[in-house]
Amino acid sequence: MEPELRDYVGELLDSGTVAGVLALKDELGAVKPYLFTKNNEIGDLVLTSKYPLASVMSMLQKEDPSIKLAIVCRGCDERALIELAKRNQINLDNIVFVGIPCDEEMADKCNCLQPYPKEIVTGEKLSNWVPKNNYEDFKNMSTEEKLIFWKGQLEKCNKCYGCRNACPLCFCSDCELENALWVKHGRLPPEFPIYHVIRAFHLAGKCVGCGECENACPVGIPLMTLNHLLREDIKDLFGYMTGQDIEDENPINTKEEY
Amino acid sequence: MKYDNILTTCPYCGCGCKYYIQVINGVAKGVMPCKEDPVSEGKLCIKGWNVVDFVYSEGRLTKPLIKENGKFREASWDEAYNLIVSKFKKIKEQHGPQAFGLLSSAKTTNEENYLMQKFARSIIVTNNVDHCARLCHASTVAGLAAAFGSGAMTNSIPEFEDADCFLITGSNTTEQHPLIGSRILRAKERGAKIILVDPRLIQLAKFADIHLRQKPGTDVAWLNGLMYVIIKDGLVDEEFVKNRTENYEKLKKEVMNYPPEKVEEITGVPKEDIISAAHIFGNAKTASIIYSMGITQHTTGVDNVKSCANLAMITGNMGKACTGVNPLRGQNNVQGACDLGALPNVFPGYQAVANGEFREKFEKAWKMDDKIPENVGLTVVEMTNEAHAGNIKCLYIMGENPMVSDPDINHVKESLESLDFLVVQDIFLTETAELADVVLPGTSFLEKDGTFTGTDRRVQRVRKAIEPLGESKPDWLIISELASRMGSSAFEYNSPKEIQDEIASLTPLYGGISYERLDDLGYLQWPCLDKDHKGTVFLHKGKFTRGLGCFFPITYKPPAELPDKEYPFTLTTGRILFHFHTGTMTRCVPKLDKEVPTGYVEIHPVDADRLGIKDGEIIKVSTRRGTINIPAYITRKVPEKIVFIPFHFKECAANILTNPALDPIAKIPELKVCACKVESIGE
Amino acid sequence: MTEEFKPKIVGFLCNWCCYAGADMAGTSRMKYPSNIRIIRVMCSSRINTEMIIKAFQTGADAVFIGGCHFGDCHYVDGNYRTKKRIDVLKRLLSHMGIEQERLRLEWVSAAEGEKFSKTMAEFTDTITSLGPSPLREIKEEAI
Ligand code: SF4
Ligand code: SF4
Ligand code: SF4
Ligand code: FES
Repeated sequence: MEPELRDYVGELLDSGTVAGVLALKDELGAVKPYLFTKNNEIGDLVLTSKYPLASVMSMLQKEDPSIKLAIVCRGCDERALIELAKRNQINLDNIVFVGIPCDEEMADKCNCLQPYPKEIVTGEKLSNWVPKNNYEDFKNMSTEEKLIFWKGQLEKCNKCYGCRNACPLCFCSDCELENALWVKHGRLPPEFPIYHVIRAFHLAGKCVGCGECENACPVGIPLMTLNHLLREDIKDLFGYMTGQDIEDENPINTKEEY
Repeated sequence: MKYDNILTTCPYCGCGCKYYIQVINGVAKGVMPCKEDPVSEGKLCIKGWNVVDFVYSEGRLTKPLIKENGKFREASWDEAYNLIVSKFKKIKEQHGPQAFGLLSSAKTTNEENYLMQKFARSIIVTNNVDHCARLCHASTVAGLAAAFGSGAMTNSIPEFEDADCFLITGSNTTEQHPLIGSRILRAKERGAKIILVDPRLIQLAKFADIHLRQKPGTDVAWLNGLMYVIIKDGLVDEEFVKNRTENYEKLKKEVMNYPPEKVEEITGVPKEDIISAAHIFGNAKTASIIYSMGITQHTTGVDNVKSCANLAMITGNMGKACTGVNPLRGQNNVQGACDLGALPNVFPGYQAVANGEFREKFEKAWKMDDKIPENVGLTVVEMTNEAHAGNIKCLYIMGENPMVSDPDINHVKESLESLDFLVVQDIFLTETAELADVVLPGTSFLEKDGTFTGTDRRVQRVRKAIEPLGESKPDWLIISELASRMGSSAFEYNSPKEIQDEIASLTPLYGGISYERLDDLGYLQWPCLDKDHKGTVFLHKGKFTRGLGCFFPITYKPPAELPDKEYPFTLTTGRILFHFHTGTMTRCVPKLDKEVPTGYVEIHPVDADRLGIKDGEIIKVSTRRGTINIPAYITRKVPEKIVFIPFHFKECAANILTNPALDPIAKIPELKVCACKVESIGE
Repeated sequence: MTEEFKPKIVGFLCNWCCYAGADMAGTSRMKYPSNIRIIRVMCSSRINTEMIIKAFQTGADAVFIGGCHFGDCHYVDGNYRTKKRIDVLKRLLSHMGIEQERLRLEWVSAAEGEKFSKTMAEFTDTITSLGPSPLREIKEEAI
């Protein structure tokens, strides 16, 4: 998949369609987000890791709102870009999507609901994909057990804000997690459970299921459990899925009855 | 547009997380965790995430400063260098090289520490070079070197994931070494047992299988108590003791004086808890001892460390994966600063200055005409004392802030003020720099190349992400330029890479370390003897560095200052998650400052009640050294009769209060225990 | 220990409807339990998740939100948003292990004093039988 992709984005650069291609680069035995601007660097472009590229794109556009860039994106990157665009954090007109599907290993690891973008440039979409983990174990717990479970988990929290920092959809400059009215400053762990409830709720109808929050959590709190359940709830209550179409509005914020 | 991510190593704690700095058009914009980094695995603590903010903070020094009539004025590099060179030469002429003291820095790179001690030994010709490791792990270096032959953390961070048992003492791991703390929590979920020994109810207490809350300063007693039970109940690894160690009988004789009843009396820990902790530790397949300053910062620091070594050896928890004695080093590069000889008694790689062969080797390599003195130089606290006494006339301090970090600050201030000449090289105008005659603007880790050595002997690259701010210069360049102006030809480097190559050629421990290999492999753990050596994950496999592991029988001695009628409380000091060391970096990071804007004293509700103190009220804490006013934080985290103050905050500096009494061997001050008085100042 | 459990309920009431309804209940001596602490807000949609959780965190056993009937909101559609928000939050609370019955939203107009007092009595009963909020205990052990 990589060779075709390199040709494809090389062409985008050569033809001047875009000023740069945001993708992953292999360097020093690790993989990092990088803006490719010259065709001769493209040999280091790889697809093996996953980074929150949508946030990077938003940052780049803020630096230069007129610049036209391509982005090599997975399903979750595309969904994040769409959600960001809905909230005026990004201008899709200046973005060329270079979609790639995820392989089974990655899709499994992320327990992804939709491991491919709408259009793909190269590779095969996983067909008949359904995520394996439905969080049945969690759902089978009693209310009391759930509380004990979360208490044990959230007591580990290191208040690194990594879950927020890594999330492509957490872009507010004034974050309520830092508001002392709700979350006391300087306490470790943060008071149970307000910190995590605020974040989960703020992401309801916004979360695209990329898993970056859980990946960033140093103490292994299963944050995706909450995200997943809320995604199900939103679907159940409003029939809504994030990241599908820029015209869809987050139903929680609309004035319609349901 | 140019957007890149530069892989570098965190400048805060000793975990040694590597992460990316996101750079757009030459400006650092933020941090991106690196998912392939073996230490952090793409996760960071709050300090790491916000690291870029301190680099651009307003307080950064961008021009050399010279003090005239008590006021600083900006100066050119030439002017500053010329002044320093003429003063250095004059003082050396009048008072000799031993009137100088140099403080290197655990915050700067290995290359810079190497150069600083090279400057001390070859340009000034003194061994009076030291750094703040004296205040944190000098006792580790001395204690473990005596017991094992090497003063470093024996095992590696990733191994913690698989250990069966942890004994954690004097380390608030989830706050001070978050990315090690997180591994311990993960191990716990996998079923590992945690024995926590700490007077305070720290976050780890909730996850500990057993929590012993000892009286501060009674560590030898409970450690001996654990060994008593282990010996008595047949949990000694006889084979290990027989084949790999010496002096066991003497240890046994001493330890047998510490039955649990007696230990309970000394430490306040119930004897049943001593017994069950000993059983958990003694029965574990692999047990790892993790400690930090709660063990080292005592007048019995070396004793405490040796006792930890004793415990690990009698249970055979040495020289294997997931075991060992693991001192967690506080500063990003305190390990490196020690390794590179920023110590008064050793050259790089712990080659003793007392050894004539080593002196000759370095004299030759450094193209010296003079002879390096064979006497061990002065340590940090001794330097200030000698300055006070008028024997040290000139100090050159790089990236250290003794005016906040050292015990008994009032005394430090008097000492620094009595110097003839003080040069401070830093990125901020610190409390110490305020007192300087010349201030040289160094750069932060983002503006230079080099290497740091993390707590588990992990040498990793620091890579330049942005250009130095203003006219500031990387510290390696400043030292080299200054040395050249002092007339040396042995300081001509084009880049830190060349310095590293020189280090490798003179330092067997670092012999196989080069930038090329670090780029390829990501890190190398010393000892790494030659270009084909893969580095060492854990030490003392099959054989201790000194041959046989040596047991030291240790008798319990109480702390230097105990509570009495006048000063009825015990004061203990430490750090918190949100700040780092003297706060010069973290306190100008808005997100960290917001979390904890100033210091506080933790006091138990019962004590607060008795003294009529309300939460948040400003109260007075005093010791025989001084008094501070500080807000009270009423919490059950501390036991009754004990108060805790984080030392990061200069406006209510814990170190005005602390006791400079020293460990006789390591010369580390007793920052963890002293007697104090707590009073309400309300009417 | 014979002390009977009296739930603490925080009521966020919309100024234009429910608050007036509560007032009416008060002035016309329709009894409603005294364990509700009323906080007047300018619209039910002024209440955000943070406030509700904070109420629980500071010791409330239950939270009541009273707003205008659909079509009557002073700010046209505030209460539609309230409804959705509360429905999602209820689910989130139950995922966290907090009974969602502890959070209740009702539309009560200025004229419905009786509805208000009835609802409150019934809500108090529900919470009494549920017992104290689990977050209360956690709060106590935290200090
Ligand atoms: S909440 Fe987590 S999974 Fe959802 S978008 Fe943010 S980072 Fe991705
Ligand atoms: S990433 Fe994990 S530890 Fe960090 S704030 Fe979020 S939940 Fe807490
Ligand atoms: S301070 Fe320590 S734990 Fe935090 S990011 Fe830096 S090295 Fe990692
Ligand atoms: S004004 Fe009453 S709910 Fe909006």
